[in-house]
Amino acid sequence: MPFFRLGPGAGQDVGRSCILVSIAGKNVMLDCGMHMGYNDDRRFPDFSYITQNGRLTDFLDCVIISHFHLDHCGALPYFSEMVGYDGPIYMTHPTKAICPILLEDYRKITVDKKGETNFFTSQMIKDCMKKVVAVHLHQTVQVDEELEIKAYYAGHVLGAAMFQIKVGCESVVYTGDYNMTPDRHLGAAWIDKCRPDLLITESTYATTIRDSKRCRERDFLKKVHETVERGGKVLIPVFALGRAQELCILLETFWERMNLKAPIYFSTGLTEKANHYYKLFITWTNQKIRKTFVQRNMFEFKHIKAFDRAFADNPGPMVVFATPGMLHAGQSLQIFRKWAGNEKNMVIMPGYCVQGTVGHKILSGQRKLEMEGRQILEVKMQVEYMSFSAHADAKGIMQLIRQAEPRNVLLVHGEAKKMEFLKQKIEQEFHVNCYMPANGETTTIFTNPSIPVDISLGLLKRETAIGLLPDVKKPKLMHGTLIMKDNSFRLVSPEQALKELGLAEHQLRFTCRVHIQDPRKEHETVLRVYNHLKGVLKDYSVQHLPDGSITVESILIQATAHSEDQGTKVLLVSWTYQDEELGSYLTSLLKKGLPQSTS
Amino acid sequence: MTRECSLLLPRVCTALADPRQPCSDDTCLEKLLDWFRDLTEAEPTLKLVQDNPCLTEFFISVLALSEPSPSILSFALRLAGMLAASENCFQHLQQENLLVRLFGEDGPLNSTLWEDASVRSGWVEGVHSMMHHQPALHFFCNGGGIDAIFTLQGDPSLFVASAASRLLVHMLTLSVESETTKPLDAKDCDWPACAQLIIKRIEDSLQSSSDSHIIQSLKLLTNLFGSCQATWTEVLWLGIAKQVESLLTEDSVQARHMVADLLLNMSRSHVFCDTEGSFWAVVTSALEHLTPVQAGPLAVGILRLHKCPQDVRIQALTVLLQPMDCILRAASQPMEYAGLLDESVSDPSTVESLLSSKSSCASLLCQTLAHLEKLLSLTRLPVDLPYTSLLRSFVTILQFCNGLLIPASPLGSKISQILIGCFRVQRLALDVLAALSGKKGCDTVIGSLFDILLAYLESPNTNPTVLKKSFHAMSKWLARLPEMSSFNSQWQIEKILQDVFLVLQKRLCSPCWEVRDSSLEFLTALIKCMKDQDVFRQSLLSSEVPKLTENLLEDPESYVRASAVTAVGHLTFITYFVPEPPVTGNQYNKENTVEKLQDILSTDPEGFPRRAVISIFTKWLRQGCTGRVEDTVRFVSRVLQTVECDLDWEVRLGGLELVEVFCVQTLCQRDHPKHPYAPVSSAVTSSIHQNDFLQIFCQAKLFNFLFRSLCDCDRPVGQKACDILLALRASFCPSSMLKDCQGTGDSSAEHGLPWLQRTLRQGSLAQNFPTDGGNGVDFQDPESMRLALGTIDLIELHDELNKSSDHVEKSPQSLLEDILATVGTIDENEADCY
Repeated sequence: MPFFRLGPGAGQDVGRSCILVSIAGKNVMLDCGMHMGYNDDRRFPDFSYITQNGRLTDFLDCVIISHFHLDHCGALPYFSEMVGYDGPIYMTHPTKAICPILLEDYRKITVDKKGETNFFTSQMIKDCMKKVVAVHLHQTVQVDEELEIKAYYAGHVLGAAMFQIKVGCESVVYTGDYNMTPDRHLGAAWIDKCRPDLLITESTYATTIRDSKRCRERDFLKKVHETVERGGKVLIPVFALGRAQELCILLETFWERMNLKAPIYFSTGLTEKANHYYKLFITWTNQKIRKTFVQRNMFEFKHIKAFDRAFADNPGPMVVFATPGMLHAGQSLQIFRKWAGNEKNMVIMPGYCVQGTVGHKILSGQRKLEMEGRQILEVKMQVEYMSFSAHADAKGIMQLIRQAEPRNVLLVHGEAKKMEFLKQKIEQEFHVNCYMPANGETTTIFTNPSIPVDISLGLLKRETAIGLLPDVKKPKLMHGTLIMKDNSFRLVSPEQALKELGLAEHQLRFTCRVHIQDPRKEHETVLRVYNHLKGVLKDYSVQHLPDGSITVESILIQATAHSEDQGTKVLLVSWTYQDEELGSYLTSLLKKGLPQSTS
Repeated sequence: MTRECSLLLPRVCTALADPRQPCSDDTCLEKLLDWFRDLTEAEPTLKLVQDNPCLTEFFISVLALSEPSPSILSFALRLAGMLAASENCFQHLQQENLLVRLFGEDGPLNSTLWEDASVRSGWVEGVHSMMHHQPALHFFCNGGGIDAIFTLQGDPSLFVASAASRLLVHMLTLSVESETTKPLDAKDCDWPACAQLIIKRIEDSLQSSSDSHIIQSLKLLTNLFGSCQATWTEVLWLGIAKQVESLLTEDSVQARHMVADLLLNMSRSHVFCDTEGSFWAVVTSALEHLTPVQAGPLAVGILRLHKCPQDVRIQALTVLLQPMDCILRAASQPMEYAGLLDESVSDPSTVESLLSSKSSCASLLCQTLAHLEKLLSLTRLPVDLPYTSLLRSFVTILQFCNGLLIPASPLGSKISQILIGCFRVQRLALDVLAALSGKKGCDTVIGSLFDILLAYLESPNTNPTVLKKSFHAMSKWLARLPEMSSFNSQWQIEKILQDVFLVLQKRLCSPCWEVRDSSLEFLTALIKCMKDQDVFRQSLLSSEVPKLTENLLEDPESYVRASAVTAVGHLTFITYFVPEPPVTGNQYNKENTVEKLQDILSTDPEGFPRRAVISIFTKWLRQGCTGRVEDTVRFVSRVLQTVECDLDWEVRLGGLELVEVFCVQTLCQRDHPKHPYAPVSSAVTSSIHQNDFLQIFCQAKLFNFLFRSLCDCDRPVGQKACDILLALRASFCPSSMLKDCQGTGDSSAEHGLPWLQRTLRQGSLAQNFPTDGGNGVDFQDPESMRLALGTIDLIELHDELNKSSDHVEKSPQSLLEDILATVGTIDENEADCY
């Protein structure tokens, strides 16, 4: 009976993902994200709800991170180094390589801007990453003897994975964020027909059927091209990794094709490392990139050069990728301030911006911004928003459910209203239960587990010796002793069970006294009984033993005279549980008395 | 509230209450509530509500909606509660009939919206906020709201359930503390009406057959005793003690856990510190009846108390030591060790059966080890622990875990089978071993301790996290070696160190970056604590470790390069920054190392190694390792030239820290009596002398770097530069001169200072910076720099930098403007986190 508790994130929210799954006594935390919209403790999930008794490390068997986006891994160093979780953390190899870059980038921006002290340090990020165990796709990783996990390709971003968590015969699949259509550098998500008890799927675009990403890319290139052609400058605020590389490939290919000369710059020193990882994990990218890899590595950019601060003042057109992505500090903000006043220039925001940031303000249409020192910055440059996020849309979510064939579906990471719509659709089409718990809610799902039992070779041999040979199509009834030991079940022969458990066999006998009226001597009564039974029980072996007792199979009958009434004989009947039916039949027969004819 | 905000607020309220303009960003609503919280603390709430009638109108509009969005309704509930916290504002909202409609039975409580967890959460939080006065208390107790709160304790949302529990505690406390007329006592207990209502419910629940009711009441009591230490809590306890005690023998595992938590919270309350009280009898009973796993947290909590009956303390100690005692007994030959506990004190059968079961062995050991680590990390431990036996038990556990010990006893062989390869237990045993290194008196077991640690360091099966912890424990115990009586001979120490360095050599070449990095960190830690010992220096320098460390300066992994920089930087303290450098030929060449580190500083593509270099350089400077003044000036100047163009602002900040140390040290030589930054007294120091120092700073190209940093796009850099310049100004510009300079701005025109000031104000110095002083500012000229220091308004700049762009971002006006700008425009941007 697995149950799912959503941490203070992930439910009906796109802020931060953190889900607790309890499955067959194992507790797994899925993702450990942060909410970038807050500057205080609210940015991290409230981990005090995970367990109120005992240490987190004792309670949690492992943490799994689906991909490197901060809303899925941003709270990890806080959780492992400040809250004190000391257990294993699993993620794919690319995620392990890229995650610290993004965490470091975000740390720098946070400390830079706010001068915050209650935030994780570089050392903490490193110490946290040292606890991470990297996994390969489709590799079954044994967390402990009972708990195993397996990663599947999720598309979305480099290294993103869906995880199957399995304990015994119960299993859960957690999708993280995924994309069911291939894009410029990544393939589509894929999972086998693993029929989990539960599929926990993101539902960011629960009701949307998204237009083709190609259209958005064309639109983006057109806008950049037009601006550059008229001599303007294009600023693209990005975070160091992910979207940035995707757009770099796009521009690089376009520049090459159109033979454009305007320079493209990337402002941070992180590009090299980021691109290095994209080169290193080429197998995680899509087929096209892998195929062309031999001729030219897509991540070796000819046109994109490192940016120097002085370049911002250069005359003429240029395109600059600068961090951070929300225009709230550092390089991107500085360049924006320089270029904002010229209507020939353009800023393209390729991602979400939190309230309060300059990025958020210009996206919501504000054109007069108050900067430091009460200066007012008038924004004359063009402001464009382009969504390149790679989530599965409604069609994609349905497709994944069709692929995996789960018994239950649970929607997370989406808005309540949209989720409600999708939930109904899933229930109608697949006839499975669909849940959409709010943050902090627990959902319990009952499963009907089939429990595997190991059968001893001795027992198998014995059974086959006395019966027919096993036939895969016909189920066969096996008799034996079930031993439950250390959470596993074994069927063995009773003798072996006794031997293993060091027990002696006890014989259980039922006894019964039957009174019959017979004034004859005891041995004569016994003879009458013997004759009677021999006549009635023709198929059974009825014996009269020399000691005066009668046996019918394992049933033993002895006669004695009643101590107070010599005319009454007491028949003592005793039988084992194997002959219970015969014993009770025989008793009822004797209770009716002996027929006259036998006398 | 500012005028601008009060003008914006009505529009914001209208927009929020308009269902056609959804505001889906919940963070905005949270931040609005934060702002209102600040406002209610700063000014009378009633005035706030009266001055801003839009707030009341907002509530009316939301209530009028047939289907308000759950997030807006939740926001309205929380805001109303916050405002009603003030009694007169509560009355005001009552008169408007708003509170009944929001929190009463006809409100959301009985509508379909109640199904939404955020509405329930908003309701509970709203009620909690307003619960500061009797009218609010009566409003809920008389109006039936209390039933709803009790029901919410079992809410499917953990947040709501826990908030409801906290609210009941708050109401009980408020009722008793504001409505009790005479002191309460156990015999004649006259609880106020509301408190009576709550207490009755608690008592009924504790007696009920429903597990969930019992657990809810126990949670409530745990919260109560954790947050309130008033004397009336004892009266309450006397009423429920019997029922609570009876739960100790109940079947419900969760209830027993909760009882342990409750007793733990109570044991910390001074109300129950009287050692004669009946409370301690219940604690003793709990320690006896609960399983070791359930009793563990209670036991460790009790051992941390400074005041508690001795027999309870012994009982608690027994709970914690019993598993370790069993380990020792299981491992030893008959009669070899006496174990930890006297058998007459405790019956080990329960613990033995737990340890011999696969499902419970590791968890019991993990829990016990974690508790012991917590105790051992305390600086003042109120109880004496048998350190030597404990150490022996930890060593034994580690031996079990890597298969070095398979005892003949049935229990021992069973435990060793279960524990072999168990990382969870290994991690904790190593942690607690490190914690134990701070305690004296473990000398006798030390040989086997080092053996097992070395075995872990050597074993290829050791996982990286376990290896890191083994290194940590090893460094802690190695640091203690010289003071140990059993290790008084030099060769014994030498032997251990040689073994350690042999392992380290191997680990430094590991294919796994985590291992290489942990090895380097271990080396640095060792050098830090043992560098003064000859035996350590000799062993280290005669090994291959220094060479391998230097090789790692070129590691492909940047984390490792950074750790190698730090380790190489520290190695220099035992190679050439010592009074008598070892005679090791040309192996250790100072210039070579400096050159390598300089090279990393200027060319490494990643920030970590560069940051490590600048931090090592600063450390050298601080330790006075950079030689004579001229050498130091050359060194600083070269470093600053490299650092000023660095893309990583933390490297530039590191450069400023180096500058700060350089200034402090240089100015120290000026014979200032106390503080190096002490303001200049013109009577003491002649201007010629001053100029000498300014000259040094100019030669080191300090001002060049400082003024450029002042305009850095990353705020901490600007702030630090400004701090240093302010300190230098205090040092070089007497107050009389400051006045003169600021009074005669024109006279400095020849030095280009107006230009500098203008450019600084525009924040564009970095772009317009003269490369050769061509624009009139000569950063190499001491007199110009003195004038610059005196003329530029550094104080104003400092204030400006302290505010940063964040003050705009955080301002309520910006928030209100953002809400207005966003309302109605949200589509998919919101969902597009990435």
